[in-house]
Amino acid sequence: MKGFGVLLQKEWREQIRNFKLLWIPLVFIIFGILEPVTNHFLPEIMKSVGNMPEGVEFPWPEFAPKDILVSLMGQYQSIGLLIIVLAFIGAISSERKSGTATLLYVRPLSYSSYFLSKWTMINALVLFSVWVGFLAGWYYTSQLFGSIPATDVVAFLAAYSLWIIFAVSIVLALSAWLPTGGVAALGLFLTMIMAILDSVIGAYWTVTPWKLSTYASYILMGSMDYPTFWKTAGLTVFLIILLILFGTYMAGRNAAKTTV
Amino acid sequence: MSILLEATGLSKRYGEQKAVDAVTFTLDAYTSTALIGPNGAGKTTTLSMLAGLVTQTEGSIAFEGSSDRESRSHIGFLPQYPKFFPWLTAIEFTEMAAKISGMSAREARAESQKTLEFVGLGDALNKRTGTFSGGMKQRLGLAQAIVHKPKLLLLDEPVSALDPVGRRQIMNLLKELQQQTTILYSTHILNDAEEMTDQLLFMQHGKLIDQGSLDDFRQRYAEPKIRIEFEGTDELLRFVQTAPWQVEATGSIGWIDLSVENSSMQDVLALLSTGRYGVRKVERQSASLEEIFMKVVQ
Repeated sequence: MKGFGVLLQKEWREQIRNFKLLWIPLVFIIFGILEPVTNHFLPEIMKSVGNMPEGVEFPWPEFAPKDILVSLMGQYQSIGLLIIVLAFIGAISSERKSGTATLLYVRPLSYSSYFLSKWTMINALVLFSVWVGFLAGWYYTSQLFGSIPATDVVAFLAAYSLWIIFAVSIVLALSAWLPTGGVAALGLFLTMIMAILDSVIGAYWTVTPWKLSTYASYILMGSMDYPTFWKTAGLTVFLIILLILFGTYMAGRNAAKTTV
Repeated sequence: MSILLEATGLSKRYGEQKAVDAVTFTLDAYTSTALIGPNGAGKTTTLSMLAGLVTQTEGSIAFEGSSDRESRSHIGFLPQYPKFFPWLTAIEFTEMAAKISGMSAREARAESQKTLEFVGLGDALNKRTGTFSGGMKQRLGLAQAIVHKPKLLLLDEPVSALDPVGRRQIMNLLKELQQQTTILYSTHILNDAEEMTDQLLFMQHGKLIDQGSLDDFRQRYAEPKIRIEFEGTDELLRFVQTAPWQVEATGSIGWIDLSVENSSMQDVLALLSTGRYGVRKVERQSASLEEIFMKVVQ
């Protein structure tokens, strides 16, 4: 782990000076606020701008507070993940391509320090963003729809955080392995394949990291079958460790591809 | 003089193509070696292997007798076009480089400041590297390469991207460093190599085709011409009329090509010492590094 602290400091400075520490949490907070607010005021908005014939009544579903957080998670699963992927897709591959990694690779640093410093900082930033986003959503949901017990929210966020760490690990490992374009293509391909697999055999294939977001919502709703969840969490942690090992190995193997 | 680095049978293959082919040489401590060759000769690949950036396909590199990866903390490397994280300041970058190479935080801070001042970036310590000009980047590149006081400094075309003023400044810095460390640098600017070299390594098509000191090369490739500067054109004319050799004359200077005459330098000096001709200067024409280079690669 030689040089881990120094590299972590470098990553920290990068997130601050590239304003990622500002805009990524801000985007998640905006989504966190918009979800309960739009759901609460949507009937009013539709009435005022909708061009509905007179006398027509549109029955809006009654949302429970927890439904709002689950719905917010849906936003994070699509737009949130897209932001994470776009922001960090070139975390390693771009440094290699631009040649900025060269002056690091010629020094006696360990590639595990190099990979883990990025992994730690990106996860910290993304988890912070997701948590403050959900906290903002929770606050407005409590104000507009009713309260949700804090313990339920924390358990829900803990489960969802494991999924986020897994997603970040995939992005970073791919970035260590492939050029930036390749990461994007393979990331897209994997997402599609996993979505198809989940729709076809999802009912039987219960122990998989791709179910974690669904399980997080079950935890929030109080309907989780915990033995299945713990198996899934264990498998996810195992896969995260494998991804870290793979990413570290690929960062070292591809060091020679850095632009000199 | 002790051997600092020994490269034995160093080869690098990319698929079917051999970028470097069985290169063997040694670097003595506190010497300066120029790696010379045309584009595509394998200079950068060789330096990259020595820096530990590229793994050799065959052969070995021993640094102070060891092939340990830890030896990298004693090596400084400057790529041809050094790239920096644009959001870091000059001192932050050099400090980071020093710390990764094993210096304590306090030592790294002090050495970074000293080194940046040495390379002429004392006024730009806290400026972000993204705002630097090409010359400043090259200076910063040099600073990060020497901040941890390496025993071996590897420089890939350290001055080729600079204008004449910047080139001169960097060359002066390198000459100062010559006293403190061992330097191996690649270049195709032969005038610069001529100024600062103890050993020359000539590469072509991935192979080390010749090596030796500059004096060795000068002797081996010396021009067999004698240049005689007379006091005036009349003196030269008298010499041309009386000397038993064919003399090529330009102004008050005469040239004798010994390769076509059946005589030696001593014969010419013997005639000139008779005192019949007013002579200002006699010298044997030595080959420039450029001429040596052209002969070696042909």
